[in-house]
Amino acid sequence: MANSLLELDKVQKDYRIRSFGRVIRTTKALDKLSLKVEKGQIFGFLGPNGAGKTTTIKCITGILKSDSGSIKIEGENIEDNSFENKNKIGFLPEQIGLYGNLNCIETLAFYAGFYDLDAETIEERSLELLKVLGLEKDSKRNVGEFSLGMKKRLALAIALLHKPQILILDEPTSGLDPRGVKALRSVLRDLNEHQNLTILLSSHVLSEVQEICTHVGIINDGKLIRQESIQKIREKVRKTAIKLSLRVKNFDKEKSNESILLNQYITKKKGISIIEVNDLGKHQQIILTLKEKLIPWVTNKLVSEGVQIFSIEPQDTSLEDVFMTETGGDSND
Amino acid sequence: MISRRLNQWNNLKTWQPLIVAISLVMVVAILHKAHWELTTETSPLETWKGKTITKGDNETNINFPEDIGDSITFKGILMTSPKFEVYNNDSIVLGEYSKDEALVYDEDLYGKTIINLSGMRILVNGDLSGKFFESEVITVKAYVIENTSYYTENEQSITLNREGWEAMPEDIHLASDTDYYFFTTELIILAIGSYYSFSRIQNLRTQLRFAKHLALFEFGRGLKAPRMIVLGSFFTIFIVGIGWLLGDLQNSTSVFAVTSGNDGILRLSYFSFFVVSLAAIAVSVDTIHKERQSNTLNMLLARPINRETIVLGKALGLTMVVGVPAFIAQVLGLYFMTKAGEMPTIGSMITFLLFGQVMIFTMVTFQLCLAISAKNGADVVIYGLGAWLLFSVVWTLLVYAVSFAIGIDVSAQNFENDPEYQAIASRLALLNPGFVYQMAVGLFTHRTISIDFEGVPGWLLLLSLVLWPLICLRIATWLFKREMRG
Repeated sequence: MANSLLELDKVQKDYRIRSFGRVIRTTKALDKLSLKVEKGQIFGFLGPNGAGKTTTIKCITGILKSDSGSIKIEGENIEDNSFENKNKIGFLPEQIGLYGNLNCIETLAFYAGFYDLDAETIEERSLELLKVLGLEKDSKRNVGEFSLGMKKRLALAIALLHKPQILILDEPTSGLDPRGVKALRSVLRDLNEHQNLTILLSSHVLSEVQEICTHVGIINDGKLIRQESIQKIREKVRKTAIKLSLRVKNFDKEKSNESILLNQYITKKKGISIIEVNDLGKHQQIILTLKEKLIPWVTNKLVSEGVQIFSIEPQDTSLEDVFMTETGGDSND
Repeated sequence: MISRRLNQWNNLKTWQPLIVAISLVMVVAILHKAHWELTTETSPLETWKGKTITKGDNETNINFPEDIGDSITFKGILMTSPKFEVYNNDSIVLGEYSKDEALVYDEDLYGKTIINLSGMRILVNGDLSGKFFESEVITVKAYVIENTSYYTENEQSITLNREGWEAMPEDIHLASDTDYYFFTTELIILAIGSYYSFSRIQNLRTQLRFAKHLALFEFGRGLKAPRMIVLGSFFTIFIVGIGWLLGDLQNSTSVFAVTSGNDGILRLSYFSFFVVSLAAIAVSVDTIHKERQSNTLNMLLARPINRETIVLGKALGLTMVVGVPAFIAQVLGLYFMTKAGEMPTIGSMITFLLFGQVMIFTMVTFQLCLAISAKNGADVVIYGLGAWLLFSVVWTLLVYAVSFAIGIDVSAQNFENDPEYQAIASRLALLNPGFVYQMAVGLFTHRTISIDFEGVPGWLLLLSLVLWPLICLRIATWLFKREMRG
């Protein structure tokens, strides 16, 4: 059986807080995380804040060392030959750090110096990437003058300079304007389709992941709780949960005789997640996911608490619904 | 059998050959020590103290436990330069009994030299001026002789029946003549061990190329940094000015007079350390911390470059940032010093420049340790300034405190000439890279490394000079790698 391009097996990682060199507190970041990314996939890595996405990426890219478990690229343990394996990875971190006093060409030349590339190849690849990423005109400008979007594009050029086999992006769209997001999405799709580049990206923007990714892994509390193709996940959720949009009145009040809000009372019921409550002026829109058998309970409860229901409409299940359902419906992202 | 051993050798981990080599070096060092202990008397003072002096009515007898004609090869330190110890008709009062030297001055002594070997007096039948120098470690094959001489004490004529130690000039040798065989063997073993260890490092050549790439990048960036421009200009003017002054002071009779070119270069090395170490700390004060804050570090860490290589590359780069201007300033300082005064030894001038770079590398790696372990920007600056103040300014106070703690009266007049104090100061100096640098330059004002610096042998000084940067580099890489473990 062919090896996965990237395979994490029971990876554990703790963060240690030290005082005078002594460990005084340990926090579990990754708890026996296992994950597989096959060649050619665009793998979306989802999870709420603090779930362990960035830690996982840092372990893969060698910025952090896992405490136990294995991380393999094409079947080879990443630590056995970190030089060769790091050559297979292109990395775009969430927080882009570039030397402000260098221009694009100098920046690319600096990072290219850490790969086995000759000067001619570096120049050729740099110009090509700057053109593809729309930075050609700004190639002589100092990076310190760049907008965040331009810096991200330059960092992407750095990540692609050595023609990696897998591109790892940590929150690639954070801080980008819609045009930047669209442009980045287009570049990633192009790289995947035309250069068969495998991509692993973590993102807060679930619609982004839904739009671009072929496969998704959902991580929560350092554990991978689901890994499948987007299509399969959607189908599964559709079978187990229904998404409804209710147009109601008098919803945002406290439940009678109890000092808790009505929506908090409803979501206490297992299998119901309120995804959004929108104020439409006269009415409110409640978007929730729930099991089919709970629909009468919800409607009865709302009516009994004085909420007037004007319409109930079924909605398409999105990746966000999957995410909310899988992570307990409590996302701060 | 042989192939099994070869297999075992091939399976050794990266640093094991070097550990094996260091173990072998320690064995050679023990053999070295044993060689001197077995072939020489390494405590001449004990032999000297073993003499008995008996005084009769008109007679004084000085006797040693050894028999007349017995010979012993002593190994010890020349406490004074023999050029001051040659008996000339204008340097002794004939007929006077010298208690310290345990002999009576007479005309027979003319042209002979009395040497002070670690406190023991040996009469040498010849003039040793210019052949041996103060602090050199030498071996002397001496014989017990007896003679009779006369002196007057309290207007009474006294006969001195003296047993004493005498030697021929050809029986005196520098200990380094033998030491160098052992040192060379040790260096060869260490070189072989290092070779086999380094050859086990994966992609060593590539990593060294990365280190060079990073170093040149840091060099280019660092030279343009405003703080380096300010500090570089400051230390260049300072070193050149001090060099000129030290040259001029060689022709002066003031209390600050510089006695020779060698004295001048010693002082110049201290002043160089004073300003250059500040620049070395200043350029590396926030190097890792700042990169961590600005997120450039993660960009670098994701490349196929080892953490060790990053530390090495940065250390080399920052050393060049300070080292290149410092080298120029030191050459200019030397030029102006020698123009106005005497020329120091070639060895001391080379080491002044070469070890200056080692000193800068040490200070940079030392600061890297602090910069890596500091939690915030303020900590980094405070640690760096604290280190500079400690090594450059308040070290002497620390030596006073330690001396006081172990019972030396530091309030006494001229306590700084107390051998016990000097021994403490000398040993503590090994813990200060600045003094190690200064003493190493001082070592090369001599023609041999078998020199004693108040209880610190020359080889220990050189070992200290090498170990300082290596230990700092190792700690810096260890701290940097520890971050990886989270």
